[in-house]
Amino acid sequence: MASIRKTFYVKARDFVHAGEASISIQSLLKSMNQDPKLIRRIGVCSYEGEMNGVMHGGDTHVVFDMDTEQIVLEISDDGPGIEDIELAMQPGYSTASEEARELGFGAGMGLPNMKKNADQISIASGKGKGTLVRVTFSLTAGEAER
Amino acid sequence: MTSEPSSTHFVRFHEERCTGCAACLRVCPTKTIRIRQQKSIRFVDQCIGCGACIRVCPAGAVSATARLPEGIGRDHIAIALVSPVLYAQFPHVMPGGVLMGLRQLGFHHTIDMSFFFEMFQVAAEEFIRRNRTSRVAPWPLISPACPVVVRLIAFQFPSLLPHILPVLRPVALMAREIEERIIPEYDDQDIVLYYINPCPTKSQSPLTPDSRSAKYREVAIGINDIYPVLKPQVERILTSDKMPFAWTRFEFETCSTADAAFGAMSGGEIARIDIENSLAVHGLKETADYLNRIEMGLLKDMEYIEFRTCREGCLGGVLTVVDKYIAKRHVQKMVNVFGMGRRLPRDTLLRQYEKGRFKIDKSPEVLRTLFKPRKPSISLAEAERIEHLVANLGGRNCGACGAPDCQTFAEDVVLGQAELTDCIWMAVRGLTRGSDDS
Repeated sequence: MASIRKTFYVKARDFVHAGEASISIQSLLKSMNQDPKLIRRIGVCSYEGEMNGVMHGGDTHVVFDMDTEQIVLEISDDGPGIEDIELAMQPGYSTASEEARELGFGAGMGLPNMKKNADQISIASGKGKGTLVRVTFSLTAGEAER
Repeated sequence: MTSEPSSTHFVRFHEERCTGCAACLRVCPTKTIRIRQQKSIRFVDQCIGCGACIRVCPAGAVSATARLPEGIGRDHIAIALVSPVLYAQFPHVMPGGVLMGLRQLGFHHTIDMSFFFEMFQVAAEEFIRRNRTSRVAPWPLISPACPVVVRLIAFQFPSLLPHILPVLRPVALMAREIEERIIPEYDDQDIVLYYINPCPTKSQSPLTPDSRSAKYREVAIGINDIYPVLKPQVERILTSDKMPFAWTRFEFETCSTADAAFGAMSGGEIARIDIENSLAVHGLKETADYLNRIEMGLLKDMEYIEFRTCREGCLGGVLTVVDKYIAKRHVQKMVNVFGMGRRLPRDTLLRQYEKGRFKIDKSPEVLRTLFKPRKPSISLAEAERIEHLVANLGGRNCGACGAPDCQTFAEDVVLGQAELTDCIWMAVRGLTRGSDDS
């Protein structure tokens, strides 16, 4: 079965270059004439993921996996980890630094936004263990099922 | 691909002047240009008419398809649709003087586009205000005024089509007014609309596809084309003491305000739209960057963004004569001396708005079909092959193969539009491997 994988690396606190993985992923999906709405949802998730890594985590890897049935984004970082995942999923809850907030980020919408846009989301994290966010988008289910 | 056009809808390539420097390859925002056999250009039909290739070519091998025709108004009714950028080419001359100069050249009517720009601004502001409660369109709304931006969105950011402000563009308002009030006066006569433009985008707006061609012809003229013949006329008017008293019949045929070209500056559109959360972005790269950000879900706190792909806005159009910074100063000086003024009664415009006079009938879905992707879609299997190929290419984006970068070259190869041996890197590596084997 045909499949494609792309790996991106984002450096910690590199607010300037964060977002490039998303642009690259979106551009690939556009060349494949994927549904603009789907592209947008994936772009939002990937960008939020990148920003989460850059802001809180540390060096971040974004792995994009696509086959005929689904697209999976795995965003992992080696940062401090999330102590209380349920709390982090609450809209508006944020532990962002002053630096990030000054740049207009850190409004506490990152994970909620990802959840809203993805078909599936899973988070594995623990204090001092880094964070792995995995979001899945189905390519077979119609828009109506969401 | 069988046909290899050497011109697009907007630009024309002159092979005899090309030096093969490949500068145009790199600046094209939609990666539309390929060089074949060093000096022949093939255009993939994704040209948005930004004019970046014209601007960058040191040999003058790329030009706009627009050009100055012979015998304006000689055996037909000539109507000039004048971009206010034209006024900024003439320091210390009132817009009315420039329009009068056009009359001397043979135009029967001169239509001041800034009049319709003002109209558009009132309607745009009204739509944005109402959208705060109705929420029929997503934030941020994007200005439809620059046709290059609209095409860029359609080709590269189709998910943002619903963000384009659904209000008739100034050019469309102008064309409608001409249709309703001027054309009927000339039954059965040959009528030509001359669009005097600062950029290579044709008269035809992407939002209003041609449906009226039967009634008149449309011709695009670059400001730089008409300037040399217009300048002596404008100078003559300035020095003559005999001014024709009444040479216009319609209110939009002359321009009494000095600030007409203000709207052609970057920021000139939003300056007269009273919306606090608005932004003006100019430049091709900056525009693409911001569109990317909107596509990633950012800038939602903005209500309106004015994009212009030319630096400093339309004053920086590639078909102008006076440099953008000097033109900008001209405009600022005129505003300093004569101030800013509104010409149109707001109440009347709002009543027209209420009647739906500014409403656009094209939904984003219609737009999407209008701008069908012109590049063949890549399948997952092809994408996989492209990915592997890119990893093996040099990655220097040298352009020697004739494609703008390795990614595009790999796509062309996989889609059967280029040969792998066109890549110098691959060819050299092939040779070394050959000698190793022997």
